[in-house]
Amino acid sequence: MANSHKYTTHIVRAGLEKRYKKEARFRRMGLAAIIMGLIFLSMLFISIIGNGYTAFWQTFVQLEIHLDASVIDPERTRDPEIISAADFGGIVKKSLRDMYPEVSGRRDKRTLYRLVSSGASYYLQDYVVANPEQIGSTIQLWVPADDDVDMLMKGHFDRDKPEAERRIKDNQIAWVDKLVDQGRVESRFNKTFFTAGDSREPELAGIWGAATGSFFTLVVTLLLAFPLGVATAVYLEEFAPQNKWTDLIEVNINNLAAVPSIVFGLLGLAVFINFFGMPRSAPLVGGMVLTLMTLPTIIIASRAALKSVPPSIREAALGIGASKMQMVFHHVLPLAMPGMLTGTIIGMAQALGESAPLLMIGMVAFIVDIPTSAMDPSTVLPVQIYLWADSPERAFVERTSAAIMVLLMFLITMNALAVLLRKKFERRW
Amino acid sequence: MNKMTDGHTVKSFNDEMNQLHQHVMQIGELVRDQLSRAVDSLKDEDADAAREVIERDRLVNELDIQVDDEMVHIIAKRQPMAKDLREILTVGKIVTDLERCGDEARKIAILCVHFYDHNTTSPSDVILRDIVKLSDFVDSMLDKAIRAYDELDLELALETIRMDMDLDTEFKSCLRRLSTFIMEDSRVVGHVVETVLGLRALERIGGHAKNIGGYVVFLVKGKDVRHEDLETVAAEIQSAT
Amino acid sequence: MTFQIDSGTDLPEREIDIVKESVSADAYSKVNRDDRKTVGKITHVDARMTCRNVNVYYGDKHAIKDVSLDIGKNEVIAMIGPSGCGKSTFLRCLNRMNDTIDSCRVTGDITMDDIDIYDKKMDVVLLRAQVGMVFQKPNPFPKSIFENVAYGPRIHGLAASKTDIEKIVVTSLKRAGLWDEVKDYLEEPGTGLSGGQQQRLCIARAIAVNPEVVLMDEPCSALDPIATAKIEELIDELREHYTIAIVTHSMQQAARVSQRTAYFHLGDLIEVGDTDMIFTNPRHQLTEDYITGRFG
Repeated sequence: MANSHKYTTHIVRAGLEKRYKKEARFRRMGLAAIIMGLIFLSMLFISIIGNGYTAFWQTFVQLEIHLDASVIDPERTRDPEIISAADFGGIVKKSLRDMYPEVSGRRDKRTLYRLVSSGASYYLQDYVVANPEQIGSTIQLWVPADDDVDMLMKGHFDRDKPEAERRIKDNQIAWVDKLVDQGRVESRFNKTFFTAGDSREPELAGIWGAATGSFFTLVVTLLLAFPLGVATAVYLEEFAPQNKWTDLIEVNINNLAAVPSIVFGLLGLAVFINFFGMPRSAPLVGGMVLTLMTLPTIIIASRAALKSVPPSIREAALGIGASKMQMVFHHVLPLAMPGMLTGTIIGMAQALGESAPLLMIGMVAFIVDIPTSAMDPSTVLPVQIYLWADSPERAFVERTSAAIMVLLMFLITMNALAVLLRKKFERRW
Repeated sequence: MNKMTDGHTVKSFNDEMNQLHQHVMQIGELVRDQLSRAVDSLKDEDADAAREVIERDRLVNELDIQVDDEMVHIIAKRQPMAKDLREILTVGKIVTDLERCGDEARKIAILCVHFYDHNTTSPSDVILRDIVKLSDFVDSMLDKAIRAYDELDLELALETIRMDMDLDTEFKSCLRRLSTFIMEDSRVVGHVVETVLGLRALERIGGHAKNIGGYVVFLVKGKDVRHEDLETVAAEIQSAT
Repeated sequence: MTFQIDSGTDLPEREIDIVKESVSADAYSKVNRDDRKTVGKITHVDARMTCRNVNVYYGDKHAIKDVSLDIGKNEVIAMIGPSGCGKSTFLRCLNRMNDTIDSCRVTGDITMDDIDIYDKKMDVVLLRAQVGMVFQKPNPFPKSIFENVAYGPRIHGLAASKTDIEKIVVTSLKRAGLWDEVKDYLEEPGTGLSGGQQQRLCIARAIAVNPEVVLMDEPCSALDPIATAKIEELIDELREHYTIAIVTHSMQQAARVSQRTAYFHLGDLIEVGDTDMIFTNPRHQLTEDYITGRFG
């Protein structure tokens, strides 16, 4: 007996080293996979942040502008409407001409005007409307530089390249350098990016329009998908009899979760827009399409949450004489809520990042105005990213990355919210 | 080892129950041996053998205590139910009765010492004849009672109970016979009185044997018949056997 | 050895048959399938619930086979037997908890105060208000102690005002022997109590709706001996007001708390009788083998 024990111990010991090695190898493989993942993730972040962080800064140029009363407000009415109607573009151009008297010739002058953004006149207009008492005097005003100048200042253009190969010409470089020498160039926080809608001019383009569009779309999605999803899950899980029909429905719901999202877009186009005649490009329709897409996710997550409620709670409720409905609404649903909310927020995050189905229902249009309701045409963040990524201007490259950063921030916030909500609800019980 | 003690899922419970059973049997054998030795010493007029019997009574007492101890442990550890519980209760009672039997055997041995140790006159064989005769009868009762317990034999148990009535008659006739001796010769009064005490001891052993028979009925049937008359007991044994 | 037939009660023909039928201790081992007769007196002089020829099927599985049993007023009846013998299933028939299982089918008569509880007109909610249940695992609602007890009376509309509810909660907790331990923590969650306290909270919750019968499905199997002792003491006290049917795996517990004991084996009710009798001198070989630890 003792001998056989010894023998067994011997065999086990002989195999031990191999076993430990195997384990260590497996652990290393797992670790390597995680490290790889982290490397790729950090590469993604580095590239996006590296490309995009400059977008949060915008080059401004200080112009010396004479606010000619005869041009702006000849009758001295000080009426904002009359003031706004004045030709501020002309004033900006004139001030540029005054600053560079040596520039002559139509072509050169036009190049000179492109030093500042075409939006400079709006800046001036805003300033004068706000300060009508300045009419007649000469002011120093900071206006955004053109995107090419911005790029030059941020070092994205190589000065050593032959003139023909760069977007910015030698004379422009000289003018900018002169401005820099005079201290008339400055890098400021790019407020426009967070407050403006889309624009053809990168320096005037912002994501606020897309963000509002996303917001309206998600509100519509949430309002439709959450009650529908939860109701479906509760019915299927708690009330529906177990038979072929419920099995069929279950299989279909699971399949729907795997359907490519563009199919939902086509469905939305065919049903909501073509058949019901709803407006194109509207967050309402976008939200409805995304509802279709997120419903399976919410239903599946909600059912899982319902299933995870211990049967002992159901028995307790039934045993005391609660009806089935009271059991579900008093006990099961509150306990399943954190799980349901998590599922819903994950579904929402998915919807926030979705672009393909929205392309099909026209939310890809170029829309400058910021939407004020779910019926206004608008676009959403991922589509905005897609649009900017498609634009040729160098300045849009960094704006694309910046927009991605904003989108990622939203996603992280939503996921954090999911965790927070779950924690909070769980603590209550 | 019988169906009262065997068959538990927990094997060590079987072992403990069997050991208890074996110890009871051991005490039974010892007591019977004590009785026969005591009576033999009387027959052989051997005071030393009688002293040995008196000495050996300690053994019976020790075994009695040991069995009690085992019972307490089984009750505490196993929480016996139904027939296990009855077995243990029965063992407790049987052992007590057997221990008393041992005491009675000792009394007979003391009698022997009284008669033959000192230089007093020994009683005549005629007087002692009854003790020898009755002791055979009582021994067979004790034997039957112990076997009834060992084999869970209700017939044997019933016989033991029945024999107790015969013993009673026998005892009474012995008393009558002895009283004639006194009437004949008043000098034998001392011997006769001592002999009556010996007979009384034997009668008590028979009574204990009868009790054991009653316990066996309780053990097997779960019904206490100790204070019933014989017909009732017989009917109980007959029912559903 | 004969059974005492209670001559005071007028039993239907069939039941007398059952009562008369005696199975000797030596008629050994296997239950003959054609001869399923319960040993002992299934009737009770003062029956609160009567079950006659109850059969339960789970799909094709015959879980309870032709069981007849009375549950007497203010008695504690214990149901014992090896796992899977159907004792819990039988218990759950008494308040129709088996309704929640789709494949479960119950035949036979179960009446409570002469009303068939499986009648179509019988309301399950009402039945469960009359027949409360305590489960194996303490399962308080994840709410405050107060809410746990107040829930039942509230959904059944047993209390007109807030003070009424409070009165019910206090009485129930007192009856469940929990009041002194929790009176200062009524707003704390019930799940924060110890296992034994939780189970007593569940008992308080069950008796808060003032049921006539309380069913207990292995109420102490998850508790330590001290908590178990407290529950057992409580069961004994509750007997004054309620009828209690308890399923237990612990024979000692059955012996301690009950007045009558029923032994189930593979869906059959093998033997029923006074607890004192069952645990000292059972009549059926299977019962004896089970309680003396000879199988299962």
